[in-house]
Amino acid sequence: MISYLIKRVFQMVGVLWVVSIIVFTMMSFTGDPTYMMVPLDATEDEIANARMLLGLDKSYIVQYGIFLSNILRGDFGRSFVFRQPAFGLIMERMPATVEMVLAAMALSLVLAIPLGVFAGAYPQKKTSRGIMAGSLLGISLPNFWVGMMLIFILAVQFNLLPSSGRGDTVPVMGINLSIVTMDGFRHIIMPAVTLSFATLAMLLRITRAGMMEVMKQDFIKFARAKGATFKSVLFKHALKNALIPVVTIFGLQLGDLIGFATITEFIFAWPGMGKLLVDSIYMADRPVIVVYLMFVAFLFVVINFAVDIIYTLIDPRIKLR
Amino acid sequence: MIRSFKLGYCAITVLAVIGLMLTPAGTMAADKEIKIALTSDAVHVDPQQGNELTSNIMFNHFYDTLVRRTAALDFVPGLAESWELKDELTWVFKLRKGVKFHNGDELKASDVLFSIERCKTQLMSNLVRYIAEAKALDDYTVQIKTPQPYAVLHMDLSEFHILNEKYVKEVGDEQLNLKPMGTGPYQLVEWVKEDHMTLKAFDGYYLGPPEIKKVTFRPITNPATRTAALLTGEVDIIQDLAVRDADRIKSNDKLNLITRPSLLNIVLALDYREKSPTIDLPVNPMKDVRVREAIARAIDVDTIDRVIMNGLATPSDQYVPSSHIGYVDGLDFRQVYPFDLEKANALMKEAGYADGFTMTLDATNNRYVNDQQVAQALAGMLAKIGITVQLNLMPKSNFFGYIRVPSDKSSFIMSGWDTPSGDAGGMYNSMMYSRDKKKGYGQANRGAYASEEFDAWIDKADATPRVEERDKFLQEATKVAVRDIVLIPVHYEQDLYATKKNVDLKPRVDKFIWTYEIDIK
Repeated sequence: MISYLIKRVFQMVGVLWVVSIIVFTMMSFTGDPTYMMVPLDATEDEIANARMLLGLDKSYIVQYGIFLSNILRGDFGRSFVFRQPAFGLIMERMPATVEMVLAAMALSLVLAIPLGVFAGAYPQKKTSRGIMAGSLLGISLPNFWVGMMLIFILAVQFNLLPSSGRGDTVPVMGINLSIVTMDGFRHIIMPAVTLSFATLAMLLRITRAGMMEVMKQDFIKFARAKGATFKSVLFKHALKNALIPVVTIFGLQLGDLIGFATITEFIFAWPGMGKLLVDSIYMADRPVIVVYLMFVAFLFVVINFAVDIIYTLIDPRIKLR
Repeated sequence: MIRSFKLGYCAITVLAVIGLMLTPAGTMAADKEIKIALTSDAVHVDPQQGNELTSNIMFNHFYDTLVRRTAALDFVPGLAESWELKDELTWVFKLRKGVKFHNGDELKASDVLFSIERCKTQLMSNLVRYIAEAKALDDYTVQIKTPQPYAVLHMDLSEFHILNEKYVKEVGDEQLNLKPMGTGPYQLVEWVKEDHMTLKAFDGYYLGPPEIKKVTFRPITNPATRTAALLTGEVDIIQDLAVRDADRIKSNDKLNLITRPSLLNIVLALDYREKSPTIDLPVNPMKDVRVREAIARAIDVDTIDRVIMNGLATPSDQYVPSSHIGYVDGLDFRQVYPFDLEKANALMKEAGYADGFTMTLDATNNRYVNDQQVAQALAGMLAKIGITVQLNLMPKSNFFGYIRVPSDKSSFIMSGWDTPSGDAGGMYNSMMYSRDKKKGYGQANRGAYASEEFDAWIDKADATPRVEERDKFLQEATKVAVRDIVLIPVHYEQDLYATKKNVDLKPRVDKFIWTYEIDIK
């Protein structure tokens, strides 16, 4: 276990380092950020002054060196645009995103597993076919369309829910959450539903596929023969064996949504961090882009680690190596 | 039986809870309050760190300037109650007495000097470009020397906000950019990044307490969501209404649609150099004024504005709007060079380019309203006089570095120029004055236009401390620029706002929504 952990940490450092190199290289192709910060009629002196203030007066390699050595001291650099620490900018927007994503993931999990088990256990039933058709819709409808439709129907036509924003928040253990207040809960419904659509459909289909395969195997017949109820066979014997790919996809989706829920945040004016990434790309704000992508890479490593551990809990035959 | 009863009971409870959640919460307040949806969150609240629109809007809520720019672009006393010119270079500003900062301090000349000195080392050092030296004659008198006679210093100062020396030194730069404290009509209560910014009225404001006691600004970037937020009543005012929603707002009798021409002039820069980077000919055809005239006459701005801009743009007649210093009454670029394909083709033939030539147009695809479509339309129009225009479209993050002087990759550039200063001088100095002749001039002269005559008028304008004379000289410069077709002005974009019926909003020419001027009936 310890050696496994150490191996993982080394892997992570390697991944983060590669991400930083890739982003730095990519950013050298976009324009000079200085011109995004100064007025159009800035004189050479004013541009030189701005360059110096932003630390862009040094060569690209030197800038990268400074960036690396600062990271070793725990300083992730300052945004060119905001002139604030880049890491702080991301952290201050993260709770909103994580809250929305967790709500969406919980929603999709709660719906996907029972529906998937049902559709996998009774593939011939009309209801199952209906579920599968619906899931195709969930995969193929684009997020922004679903979001706009929800706003149009629930907010504008029927005035049931607020169209955008996060509503009231209260601090829970130092983190501002909106889901615990009534107003905040009303605000989170539409973004979470929008975001859950695709994941729900995907998890459902994978659960069903796994179930259909497992249900054909001999140990299921044996379990039935020894007298276990159908319900317990479905949820105890079959589901557990169909769960590994579900957990894998769940982990990947979780990381993906936290890192790139941009479109949903954009549509619902949700104050998360995805919009920060897009704005930063538009403004060529390299420090934020680098730290953001490194953070997402870190997140994926952590989630994959958690997924590996869950594997061993589901199937004791799997060992961490 | 019992079980089904329980289930039914549960269902009713759940429905009741959902119903409770879905009823919109209504609030009643005695104090007037307003919610405004902007296109983005403020990047800065420290007025010396940046100048994008939302930040500018915030600066004017928290801070004040020595000279105040009114909604109609007049320049009136602000923190300075009067000013006078002592000699050609020396201005004396008398501060208003008894102006209070939010923390109770009184505004003193030392705060003004501190703000000027600090600005010189900040990112927005251009704000104090024309201040060579500043000193306090007493607590309420500031003397400013300009490096050269500069008739519109007071107009420039309407963009320069005054900080509180003690406060800035106490909290430091980083905190100042999070917790603003000035003499303005509003104070910051809460700022949740990307969600909302709440402001409360500062009742000690020197022009009198604001009517509206509480303002909430919400950044809603997606235009359709902004419209939705107004339709559901979540906000009272939205900025930059999407053009496609204009009819919907107009037909709704609970809402108002407000439009006004902006100050952003879309212009086309033509190359004046001997050889042009993207034209594969030994001599740059655009050196010939006949070719430039042909281009100007081949562009049908009315059609662009009708078809691409949905009528929500105003063809520009000169380089600056009629309110500005340097505008020539009665001169209209569209009258001088009206759309006329026949004449344009004849001019091309006369100049020896009957077969036309090929060049590249550099334009943005995410900076101006429908910029990409406008560029495509221009290419189509110029094709009719034999000029094959290749489009080089790019995002703004690449564009402004790419076209930057010496612009050695560009022949033909579409860009916008904003002149909230109320004076054509800044634009002319940057965009049309010969390059590399004088420091601080010609730094955005992308076509490398160089005219002794034009430069001479600018030199004269920048050598007089009197506004009327400056106006006269700049008007002459305008005439030369129109005659030489230095830039082809296309149109001013239109600003669109939508509000609830009870909101009294008079849009400002400079787009800076200022709650102090807004009222609710």
